[in-house]
Amino acid sequence: MALPNKVLPGFSASLYAQPTSTPTPLTTAQLSLVASVSPIAVSGNILNVEAVPAFGQDDAMANFSVAGSRQSDKIPTQSAPTSMTVTAAWNPSDAGLLLMRGDAYNGTVDRTFVIAATDGTNIVYYAFNGRVSQFTIDAQPGAEAKCVFTIHPRGNQYGWSNNA
Amino acid sequence: MGQNNPVVYGKAIQAALQAVVTPVPVYAAFNRNFATQPKFITWLLRNVHQDVYTGPNQNNKGIDRPIFQVSIFTQQIEDGFTISNQILQSLHGYSGLFGGSPNGIYVSKVDVMWLYNSYDNEEKLAQVFLDCQLDIPT
Repeated sequence: MALPNKVLPGFSASLYAQPTSTPTPLTTAQLSLVASVSPIAVSGNILNVEAVPAFGQDDAMANFSVAGSRQSDKIPTQSAPTSMTVTAAWNPSDAGLLLMRGDAYNGTVDRTFVIAATDGTNIVYYAFNGRVSQFTIDAQPGAEAKCVFTIHPRGNQYGWSNNA
Repeated sequence: MGQNNPVVYGKAIQAALQAVVTPVPVYAAFNRNFATQPKFITWLLRNVHQDVYTGPNQNNKGIDRPIFQVSIFTQQIEDGFTISNQILQSLHGYSGLFGGSPNGIYVSKVDVMWLYNSYDNEEKLAQVFLDCQLDIPT
């Protein structure tokens, strides 16, 4: 099987988190290896989120301008993986959400997260190491209670792979 | 969080309405044969739907917020208003076991909207319509 070669529905992306309260995150090299990443992307590790937010890299550049020069210059610098604010329907007993709550309380747990986007047959994986922050419960009436948290990836610690 | 069963909803709604308006008869749909009765109510269920969220996991869903419409038919207009008030006082804002034992379901909230009243000259029946929305945790 190869990298999916078609426009993917955003609807079919899912988010997985490494299990246990003291995980050993993947190394930077492993984050780009499907053999290391795909065992995390299994149903037992799924975080049942409403929608997977934008993932990838942030913008980062240095802006130079020299007096007397006609144009300034924007130099891309090494940009960090983007932070993700995730909303999930809140089940207080959900094992995955309890892990996120524990991570946010601790503040220093590095965990590998995997996003798997699929067309139904082939899968592309985006894996990164991150810490959880800003864990909040939004219990507004009119819908189910929401559990909202932000995952801040560690610098340089992400990779792409697929099930080819 | 699989999709809830509408059969369960139907039984709970029937039981809940019967308990509130007894001895007035409660029916799941309108039938002209009932039109000879001086007072009766009917209900219909709609908008059974749990939001579906991302990914191939079929159980990734939100809560269900179905609406059942209650139609109150009475020969006296005032009787219809009185029955509608009974339903409002019992169900609007209610939280707990909806429909009682054995067919009840737990709801976190019931929201009743008194829609409008009307009169059917052919049937000689006054009517009052209510929308009741259930918040059903899954």
